[in-house]
Order: sequence, then structure tokens, then C-alpha cells
Amino acid sequence: MDIFETMDLFHSYKNSKVESLKNINIKVGKGKKTALLGANGAGKSTLFYHFNGVFKPKSGTVLFDGKPMEYTKDALAELRSDVSVMLQNPDEQIFSATVEEDIAFGMLNQGMVREEIDARIDEVLSMVGMTEYRMRPTQQLSYGQRKRVAFAGAIATHPKVLIMDEPTAGLDPQMAQETLEIADQLHIGGTDVIISTHDVDLAYAWADEIHVLRNGTLVYSGVSEGFYKDSVAVALAGLMPPAMFAIDSNLTEICGIGNGKYPHTRAELLSKMAVKDTKTGTLYGIPVDDYIDQAMIDCVLAHAEEGAAVGIYGIQTRRIAYKEALRLDYVFDGMENCLIEVMNGNDAVIYYDRSLSDMVIGKVVKVSGFGLKIPFEVRGGL
Amino acid sequence: MDGILETKDLYFYYAGSTSGALEHVNIKITKGKKTAILGSNGAGKSTLFYNFNGVYSPSLGEVLYEGKPIKYSKKALRSLRSDVAVVLQNPDDQIFCSTVGEDVAFGPRNLGLSEKDVAERVELAMFQTGITMLKDKGTLQLSYGQRKRLALAGAIAMKPKVLIMDEPTAGLDPQMANEVMEMANQLHHLGTTVVISTHDVNLAYGWADEINVLRMSKIIYSGTSEGFYSDIKLVHTAGLMAPAMFSINKNHCDMNGVEEAPFPTSLPELVSKMSSERPKSGMMLILSITDGLTEDEMLKATGPLGGPRVGVYGTAARKAVFRGKLHADYVFNGIDNCLLECVNGKNSVLCCEGRMVDIVTDRIERLKQFGTSVGYEIREV
Repeated sequence: MDIFETMDLFHSYKNSKVESLKNINIKVGKGKKTALLGANGAGKSTLFYHFNGVFKPKSGTVLFDGKPMEYTKDALAELRSDVSVMLQNPDEQIFSATVEEDIAFGMLNQGMVREEIDARIDEVLSMVGMTEYRMRPTQQLSYGQRKRVAFAGAIATHPKVLIMDEPTAGLDPQMAQETLEIADQLHIGGTDVIISTHDVDLAYAWADEIHVLRNGTLVYSGVSEGFYKDSVAVALAGLMPPAMFAIDSNLTEICGIGNGKYPHTRAELLSKMAVKDTKTGTLYGIPVDDYIDQAMIDCVLAHAEEGAAVGIYGIQTRRIAYKEALRLDYVFDGMENCLIEVMNGNDAVIYYDRSLSDMVIGKVVKVSGFGLKIPFEVRGGL
Repeated sequence: MDGILETKDLYFYYAGSTSGALEHVNIKITKGKKTAILGSNGAGKSTLFYNFNGVYSPSLGEVLYEGKPIKYSKKALRSLRSDVAVVLQNPDDQIFCSTVGEDVAFGPRNLGLSEKDVAERVELAMFQTGITMLKDKGTLQLSYGQRKRLALAGAIAMKPKVLIMDEPTAGLDPQMANEVMEMANQLHHLGTTVVISTHDVNLAYGWADEINVLRMSKIIYSGTSEGFYSDIKLVHTAGLMAPAMFSINKNHCDMNGVEEAPFPTSLPELVSKMSSERPKSGMMLILSITDGLTEDEMLKATGPLGGPRVGVYGTAARKAVFRGKLHADYVFNGIDNCLLECVNGKNSVLCCEGRMVDIVTDRIERLKQFGTSVGYEIREV
């Protein structure tokens, strides 16, 4: 099932003879983490604007959820309550004088009642870590903060689809990481997340499926490795292979360690490279709801005293961990780092949002599948 | 070591603000070193740059250029800015004129050079940044990537002793980013001291000789990259993460009981270090290009079809390959890709701008530490 599909889509900008999108037939799968890749000017943003109906195709059709899009005022209003787009430049998206008003804007447009709006503002500000900025004038915010406010506004309407144009551009590494964690969280909660980027490393680690645009034409749809294997196509698209892909394919060729699997993360690569009979530690998972109690902390400290490393994963857990000033070794990239500790023969404990349980288990299973089995036990709060 | 730019107990407050945008900053930019300034959004990187070129004057403390305190008279500043050029993150803050050629000429003309000298500098700067073809184009018609190159050309045309680039690759796609960093390497190689500010740790790791890390207006680290990333708590406090190359090496070494040093900072170095069994390494033929490259010369280097893979390094070499309509396998990131071929036991051919051959041989020399000794031949074409 596809969330978006275009059929023979063409587009050109007013007064331009050049077609900015040429015969695009794309199927964006439902429930998939999708990345749209391409060099500057390849047509990524133009395509996005067709997904939320801002642009109407010159010819061809756009289907949302199996139905052709309509461009009446009512139909578009409905579409945009389902499909949120977060622009690359937050300033094109922030209109109101205060953070609170700005986030409320989309919901007011949808005619939501004030109590519900207030509750949602609380929810999304907490997700993006900006609770204390609720009353601030938007003019006084830094770039990173404006980007978060735009993000909060885009997700407050609980869209079915969230489209993010270069979500991490201009953000420092930690903020970029947090943004992706939130995207993961929304995805697991059932939102379809589509990002456009030219950060190949980010897309390689994150996406289930990629679509590649080049000069307004769709040149690839499928899993990442299928694209990067064709180095000529990669070069023509203005891209370069992701570091992880390049490291793996070179090592595979040189050492003949190929098992036909493509590691997309550090932990997966190391699992693949590990020699047989490597002694691992154990990964202990502590699922977190909306609090971390003393029993959980004691449990973690007991492990830590025996040398286990402690990490966190998930936005809610992160907020609580900061508030409670927990003892942590890995504040960022916690899951990845804890997995690596375990592969290294150490134990590790990870606090994670309970809503991310499937993702945590999924990652353990996936990394184990690359060769080195990761023992995993859930502790506390059961 | 010579400090070309230096700050002493520098404090800077924005008007009306009581908290310092820079506090007690002591930093030394060494002549001839590739220096990166790292820090999260808002840490003070750009404010520091504006103190370097005299746009801001310190609230307290001083800034030294070539050992002497900066003076803020109009005349002194003009002379400073012809030596210390800053390329801003957003090119639109820097492009004023209506055509590309005029915009590049703007700075040199202000230096009071003769029209002939101005024209020469403009030609060279446009050539180095690959925008010669755009000379008569309107600046408003340029794409973002082209505007970014134009801003760089304008700075290079000043023939600065120090070139400071604020987030040089932000917003660029991977190939363009790679080209910009090649240009930075080239300028550095020809004697300009290049300083970049970035929060792209992966970029800085492969590039910089020295890093300085800013956190909330203060310098919290100055030294080698490895020294900084080895202290993961400090890295996280700074709002940063360790570069992928550093982490993979560390994890791999921990798992296999190998020494972390030497630290690989490029793919060929990492792959060489991580692969215990390797075929005998291949040879590299470096075509040192002064002007153009003919099909005959290329054929002589690669032999008939199915010969070694061909890479390109340097803007001029890339142009020679395009102009000669020649085939290359690695138009971007040529050094790394050709070295990888050699690590992998295959021969490779690198089309390299003549003046940049030393960069390649330095990289070959460096790769020896990681277990791969690549034989090479330099052929002038």
C-alpha cells in the first residue's frame, strides 16, 4: 500500500521552459521510513509541494492514500491536516509573535477547541525540549530553536504524514540526533515520515527506502544499497556513497568477509566484522513511562558499579534523565553505543521510552543478524 | 610555531547584553596549519571570526595579527581585511554587485590595484572556483551552490594571507562540498592559512591539523582532533558527537585489542588498518597536469579498455578532463578513491593538478603508517 503515488507527473515553474519534474512515477510506501535524495536543484522540494497540494501538476496525477488529489479549497484544507510539511528554513514557516501562538496556528485553522490546543502545545513543546520557551517571542529565538518551533508546529496537528525538507541542515550534531529520534518516535506511533536530504550518511542510517531525483527525473527507488552499488548513477546524481557503505564494501572486497548483508550503522558494521567466538556482555533494557523511580535507578547503578555503561534512547527518557541528573555514559546515540559496549565484552544498560520497545528489540535483533549475537534482557518497570 | 592570528583574554559583549558572546578566549591560529573551529549553534564561532577581521572590536582583551595588536582606524582595517578574508555562511550576505565578474572584482578594486591587476585576479579566482563561465551572468540568477562559489571567489581575489570560512559546506550537496574542501586544500597548499568553522565533525576530522572547540562563549579545547574526541564527556558537553571515522576505529581497536593510534582520518587509512589480510597493494600513476590533458595522454596512462580506474583531483584537473571529454571513474574524491583501489591491490591513475601533486604524495606517505605502501610514478603531461 502506498501513501503517495504520482503518475506521469510533470511540473514547470511559471515563465520557465524547463521542466522541473519530468514524468515522475513514484510510490511512497506506507509505514516505511522514506528518504528523498538528490543534489541541490534536483527537484526534491518541488516534489514535496505536490504532496501537500501547494503545487498542482502541469500534467499527471498525485494520489494520496490511493485517491487522486483534489484542489478545491475544502479538499486542500483536509489534505493539509493529514500531510504536514516542515520546510528547510524555519523562517518561512514561523508567522506568529510568540512560540505558543505559532504552534497553535495550524490547529486553530482546523477549528480545534482551545483546551485540546493547549494540551497539544504542551505535548509537542516537551517533545522538542522547548517547554520553557512557550511564551517567548519567536524573534528572540536562535536558528536551532526556530527549527524546533517549526517542527513542533508541524507535528501538533497529529498528521498522518510528516514531510521534512533537510530536517538537520544547519543543526549541530546533537540537535540533529534529537530531531531524528523524534522522527523515529512519530514513525513508530504510526506517522509516515518522509525526509528530503542530501546528507547521504544520515539517509543511509535512517531510511528503509530511498528515492533519488536527478535533474527533475526519478532515477532510483528501492533500498539504499541497491543505489550505491551503482557508482556511476551515484556520481551522476551529484551524490557520494555514504561512509558506512564505502567502508563495508571495501572491507568486503579486500578481506572477503561478505555475508551479503549491508551494515547501515556502526554497530552493524562491527557485528559483521567481529571474529567468531567474540565474548559479549549483556544489554539490559529499562523501559521508561513518564517517570524514572528509585528502584530503576538502583538497578542501573548496581550494573554500573560492575562496570556497565549507561545510555538513554528516546525523547521522553532524555527529558527525565536531564531533570533527574541521572548518571549516564551515553547521552547521545545511546542505543548504538550501548550495543557496541556489549560487543566489546562489557555490560550496558539502556533507559528507553517504552513506546520505542519494538524499535529497541528490532535493533538488537538486526545487529545480531550481522554475526554477533547480542544478549538482551529487560529489567525493572515490567 | 608562528601565530598568525591570536587573541589574548578576549571578551566580547553584544550591545545591551550582559552575558558575553566570547569570554576569556585565548586562541592561536598557527601559520600554515589547517585550523577548524568547532562548536554547537550559538557557541560563539561567528562572533570570534568577526573579531579576527576587525568587524567587531573586543570589549576587553586584544586580537593580534602577525604578532601586533589590531588597530581599528579605517586605514588599518582596510589593510587588515586585504590580508584576512572571511567567507560568510550565507553567500547572500556577501554578494553585492549585479554580475558575477563585477562582484569578484569588488574587493581587489577597493585595494586600489590597477585595472589590469584586478582583471588578472578576477580571472584566477573565477578559475579556481570553477565559475569562469558565469562571468557575465546576473548574481540574482545563480543557484545557491553557485552563489557560495562566487562568495569564495570574491574572498580569494583579495589574495588573503588568512582565509576564514564560516560553515563552508552548509547547504551544499556532497559533490559540491567535496569540491569546496578541495579548493580549501589547494589554497592552503599554496600558502594561505585556512580556518574553517563548522559543526560537521566528520568534515573537520579529515581536514584539520588543529581544532579549537567553543562552548557557550569559551574555548574548552585546543589541540589535535584525537585528543578532543578521546574525551567523550567533553565532546558531549560541547554539543558535538565523535566523527564516524574516529568511533569506528576506536570500537574496532577495542574489540580486537589493537592500539587506537595511529588514527585513520580517511577511508583508505581506515580500511587499510581494519583489514588484516590484504593483497599486495597496487601502483598509482599520477598525471601531473599543467594545462590540458589529451586523449592520447590518457590512453597511454590507462592502456586499452578495462585498465585501471581513473580519479581526478583539483579543479583544474577536473576541467581538463571535462574539456578533453575524457572518461574518469572518480570525478570527485579522487585521492581517496584511487588510494582505495591501491589498498585493494589494483592499480589506479590520478589526474592531478600539477601544483597539488605534493598533497597526493603526502597522503601516500601517510598511508604507510596504516600498513599500506603504495608505489607511485609522477608523469608530467
